[in-house]
Amino acid sequence: MTASGSEVAFHRPSTVGEAVALLGGDDGAMCLAGGATLVAMMNAALVAPSGLVSLSAIESLRDAERLSDGSVRIGAMRRHRETAADALLEDGQCVLREAARQIANMPVRNMGTIGGSIAFFDPAADYPPALVAADAVVEISGPDGERAMPAAKFFVGWYETALAPGEIVTAVRLPPAPADSIGLFYKLARVSGDFATASVALVVAMDGQTVTYLAVAVGACGPTPVRLPEIEAELTGKALDDTGIDRLAVVLAEALDPIDDVRASADYRRLVAPRMVRRAITDAAARLGGAS
Amino acid sequence: MSGLPVTLTVNGRERALDVPATQTLLETLRERLALTGAKRGCNQGVCGACTVMLDGKPVRGCLSLTANCDGAEITTVEGLAEGGALSGIQQAMADSNAVQCGFCTPGMLVSAFAFLREAEAPSVAEIQNALSGNLCRCSGYRKIIDAVRLAADRAARAAS
Repeated sequence: MTASGSEVAFHRPSTVGEAVALLGGDDGAMCLAGGATLVAMMNAALVAPSGLVSLSAIESLRDAERLSDGSVRIGAMRRHRETAADALLEDGQCVLREAARQIANMPVRNMGTIGGSIAFFDPAADYPPALVAADAVVEISGPDGERAMPAAKFFVGWYETALAPGEIVTAVRLPPAPADSIGLFYKLARVSGDFATASVALVVAMDGQTVTYLAVAVGACGPTPVRLPEIEAELTGKALDDTGIDRLAVVLAEALDPIDDVRASADYRRLVAPRMVRRAITDAAARLGGAS
Repeated sequence: MSGLPVTLTVNGRERALDVPATQTLLETLRERLALTGAKRGCNQGVCGACTVMLDGKPVRGCLSLTANCDGAEITTVEGLAEGGALSGIQQAMADSNAVQCGFCTPGMLVSAFAFLREAEAPSVAEIQNALSGNLCRCSGYRKIIDAVRLAADRAARAAS
């Protein structure tokens, strides 16, 4: 269903409940967060919503808070600029802050929101691997009420999430990271501000030379972020050495499912991603004082 | 024309108008308010020629819907000069010959203006980072960066 500009309904509700009801009342309505993706697609005539439900007047979606258990809950309408400077994020949770800092450029970081970014889910975007590495949970509201699911399940495939029609992302929740863990986000892009050719999100903690916690997710190298709990478990509890680092990089590279696109060939991604993993964990070990 | 009632404060002046839901802020500024400084380049948020400030922060005019900006304060390149005097970055751009075809200049000025309000003695890398969302198709970046440094130097000297 297409609609010309003057026929499109525009709503700016003040609660999530109203937003869900408005979306449910019009099959052709779309949710407007920061606009950085949806309006670009409207300008390119790729989508023509019959109605727009703006989330910009819903105060509760703009907050970030630290919960009593150390989790950090970030509202869906938090701008990348805010997440890039979020002092609530601690230890390994900082992987999300590092990712936010590398999204696009200043004017886009002033507009774009975490909810909008993950609901659209460009697999080359920066938040998805960071959220998967941080064991984040995505909070969702819809016609059937509220639900929450791990980020690793939320990202389903190319531009596809677990959101059902009429549902909106309301927040992401990052559990507390292990004490003294650190979070790194390495991004390779053709030029500053581009989407990633490949990215690596890493949360790691070490006791001396010994890895006490490890989470690695590779982005932009397949339909969803790639994370392998088996190899993480294999390396945890052991001294980090070159053999272990090589094995992590090789096993992850084998699990990638990249495509050829305008940014790079699939072959290039298979070559560069393991090098990025190697560099990230080597740098992390050096920062933690347990360099191999 | 029927539409949604919106009130904006544009370059300090309150403007009330009715807009269609899908009208972008860039279209409103250029076609309704005759402020043609901000340019339509890619219309995809990539090139930065449409950059304006919304509540003091640079955003893409082409990706902002006017209906969603109700109550906001907008500053365009036309609003950077004060009392007829060019702002520091405008003067520095002129003095540095940092303009070739000029199409990117309004967006560059708005991004640089916002950056210089917060940056002290910025390095070249910091300037490049701040302006990475503004493309100059003439590739005249060097003089633009020179101009931002010149503006920062002049502001620092004036303050000391």
